Amino acid sequence: MSEERSTFFRRKKTCPFTGPNAPVIDWKDSKLLLRYISERGKIMPSRITYVSPKKQRELSKAIKRARFMALIPYVSDGGNR
Amino acid sequence: MPLYETMLIARQDLSPAQVDELAAGYAKIITDGDGTVLKTDNWGLKTLGYRIQKNKKGHYVLFNFDTQSPALLEMERLMRLSEDVLRYISVKVDAFAVEEEEPETTDEKKEAA
Repeated sequence: MSEERSTFFRRKKTCPFTGPNAPVIDWKDSKLLLRYISERGKIMPSRITYVSPKKQRELSKAIKRARFMALIPYVSDGGNR
Repeated sequence: MPLYETMLIARQDLSPAQVDELAAGYAKIITDGDGTVLKTDNWGLKTLGYRIQKNKKGHYVLFNFDTQSPALLEMERLMRLSEDVLRYISVKVDAFAVEEEEPETTDEKKEAA
């Protein structure tokens, strides 16, 4: 049976951004960034998303830029992400 | 010459034609300052993540420039003055992502699993 899991809570400890066909972190790509912010709109810690420190820094910079350009909310009321 | 990526949000109650005109105006400033406009991408009306100056939606326009900084700074100055532009950001980039909208990678992962 194919174990259904979102790319988010990956059991194995690899960073989703390193590796051959890893997605590029881009502040305009709100779909990708939404996966790394919590329900309330906070940036998820790398201990949960297994993102490597270097990529986590890039990710947080991209998220902050996207927030500035209102692509993703600063605070979401836990629903309409 | 250095590559810049500029995105601006225009007021909600502008017509698409006015937004294009606005975008063309800013692109002209860059070409005047002997830069080149590689791409002008109008994302159209999108809902904003939060209200900016009472606007719930905004017209997003993305530019890819290859220009020296004076032309870009001049354009930014005019954007600051303009009332139509709610917000803008210019980012210096090394290269522009050329690939098109590639499909979601998650699907392939699911099939592969």
